[in-house]
Amino acid sequence: MKSNRLALAALAAGCLMLQGTLPARVFAEDTRSAAAQWSVQLKKIDAGAVSIEPAFRVAIYEKLLDELIKTKEFHEVLRDGDRTAEGAQHLLILKTTVESYTPGSETRRAVTTVSGATKLRVRSQLCTRDGQLVLEVVSNGNVRFFGDNLRATHNLAHNVASAIKHSTLPDLTASRGNRKTTELARLQYGR
Amino acid sequence: MIQRIAPRKRIIRMLAGLTVVICCRTDLLAQNQSPADPPKANTRSRVTHILGFEGISNNAQGDLSVQGDVLRFQKTEAAAPAQIAVSSIQDVTIGAEDKQVGGVPMTLVKTAAPYGGGRVMSLFSHKKFDTVTLEYLDANGGFHGAIFQLSKGQGQVLGSELEAIGAHVSVLTTETSKQGTQEATNEVK
Repeated sequence: MKSNRLALAALAAGCLMLQGTLPARVFAEDTRSAAAQWSVQLKKIDAGAVSIEPAFRVAIYEKLLDELIKTKEFHEVLRDGDRTAEGAQHLLILKTTVESYTPGSETRRAVTTVSGATKLRVRSQLCTRDGQLVLEVVSNGNVRFFGDNLRATHNLAHNVASAIKHSTLPDLTASRGNRKTTELARLQYGR
Repeated sequence: MIQRIAPRKRIIRMLAGLTVVICCRTDLLAQNQSPADPPKANTRSRVTHILGFEGISNNAQGDLSVQGDVLRFQKTEAAAPAQIAVSSIQDVTIGAEDKQVGGVPMTLVKTAAPYGGGRVMSLFSHKKFDTVTLEYLDANGGFHGAIFQLSKGQGQVLGSELEAIGAHVSVLTTETSKQGTQEATNEVK
C-alpha cells in the first residue's frame, strides 16, 4: 500500500516536471523561429586603431560568415556590399572592430610552450538597418599551444557566433510595432 | 680602281643593313621590357588555398595562374577551374609566414620524444612561406577575401604579374610587421 502511494507520488512529480519543461521548450522554439526570420549582413572587419595583417582581417571575416551560417539562426547570411541585402525585409548588420591583436609565432609556441601565443579581441555590434543596437559582444580568440596563427581567427569567429546564438534576438512583431519595446541585449564574453 | 670601290660599297651596304637590324632589335627589346604590357608567358605557381576562394575547399592544393585578365585556380588538370576577373580584385597583399612542417604525424612524434627532444626538433622543422591575400568582389557586389600560401619567393612573382595588369599590390615587409607588432600590443582603450 505504502509502495503504491510512493509510486503515485513519483508519477505525479514526474508529470509536474514534464509540464514545467514543456512550455519552456515551446517558447524556445518560438523565439528560434522568430530569430530565424532575420537576415544578417556582415560588414568588413574594421581594424580600428590596431595594426593587423590583412590576412587576419580577411580570415576573421570569412570564418565569421561560415560560423554564422552554421548556427542556422538566420534566414540569410549576406556579405558586405551584397546587392540582395537591399531587398531583404528584416536585416541585421553585424559590425566587427578589432580591439587588440598580439601576433604570435608557431615555432616559438612549439619550442617554449609558454610564449608565442596569438591573441585577438574584437567587439561585435549587431544593429538594425536604422542603426539601433541590438546586441554587443566582446570576444576573444587565442592560439596558445598547437596550430597555426590563423587558427585564432577560427576560435574567435566560433566565440562570436556562439554568443549571438545564445542571445535573444528581438521579436519581429516587436520590431514592426513599437520599437521602444525591443529588448536591448548586451553580452560580454571572454572578460 | 673598280676592284677597290666594289668592296667598299658592299661594306657600306652591310653596315647599313646591320644598323637597321640593330635598331629593330633594340626597339623590340624595349617593347618587351615596358611595364605597361602584360607578361605573355604566364607562370603557374603551386599553391595551397588556405581559405576564401569561392568554390574551392579550404587547404586545397592547386595551380594559381594569371591568364589574360583572369586569376585562375585549378586543383588538377581534369578539375574545373575557379577563376575571378582581375578587375574585381580590390587589393592584393603579399606577406610572409613561418610555419611548422610535418602536420599531425610530426606533432605526435615531437610530443612523444623524450628529454625535450620535441622542442629541439621544432627548432629545425619550420619553413618560411609567402602568403597572398586577395580582397575581391563577386558578381553580386559581395566582398570576399582569399588567402593562398606559396613557396618563398613565389608571392613576389605572382604580385608583379597581377600588378602588370592593373591590380593594386602591397607588400608587407618584415620591418612593417615588426612595427605593427609593437603597435598592436598596445590595446585600444
